[in-house]
Amino acid sequence: MTIFLLILHGLLAVALLGAITHQAIAAWVPAAQPADSFATRARRVSAPAYSGAIVVLYILTMTLGAVLYAEYRINIRIVLEQLEARAVNGSFELKEHFAAIGLGMLPAYWFYWRRPLNPGHARIRAALTLVLAFIVWWAFLVGHVVNNIRGFEA
Amino acid sequence: MAEPSRYSAFPAAFTIAFAIAYAIAVDRNLALFTYHPALGEWGLGVQAPVDGPAMYWYGWLATAGLTAVVTGLAACLVPHRAPRFLNHWVWVVPVGALLFFAWLLRGFFFR
Repeated sequence: MTIFLLILHGLLAVALLGAITHQAIAAWVPAAQPADSFATRARRVSAPAYSGAIVVLYILTMTLGAVLYAEYRINIRIVLEQLEARAVNGSFELKEHFAAIGLGMLPAYWFYWRRPLNPGHARIRAALTLVLAFIVWWAFLVGHVVNNIRGFEA
Repeated sequence: MAEPSRYSAFPAAFTIAFAIAYAIAVDRNLALFTYHPALGEWGLGVQAPVDGPAMYWYGWLATAGLTAVVTGLAACLVPHRAPRFLNHWVWVVPVGALLFFAWLLRGFFFR
């Protein structure tokens, strides 16, 4: 059951990572002209269309993470401490706190991305999205490394 | 464009209050409840570890969430100037909280 939840947690995180990255790119470097290149297409996505999905994906991913966290605390963190993997352990501690701050940002994030968009809030939207993207990327990369840590040791 | 409602202050106030309250809750260990994962038991407030580690993270989230809801509702009672003031801090305070945790946990990375 834990492995199933972990895989589901990872899949939701991948979807969240893709959505928030697309939105952050579109919010910070929007493309004015239509173009055929991959990079320009990524910049031309409709950023507001992602916000609802991002809120739902964030809550689902974090809920699953919270369910799995107890298992991590009992079985994984102790191994990390025995391995003296202090940086990995600290990175995961940061992940839990960063994810919590991101959870608290969701109401404001949702509010500023509400349609019709307020042009005066463009910078706030871009900043909130960038901070949330940083949190999601951090959580994803650290989770991935911790998930593989025994593989590194084998 | 829609007129701002009296509740438009809530989201930004919630986000700012949550970041501050969560940082304080972690720093001072003000958890509303404790989870004992080895036993699968919950307890009110901050409890010492029993038969394994004690988890306070869920309790810190609850402390911050409750504080943020109350603060958000209070912000809705302040007319006019509150939302504009909150706009300036709504992303700065969470960034400050991230930096605070990086500083708080620096011992994991620097001996």
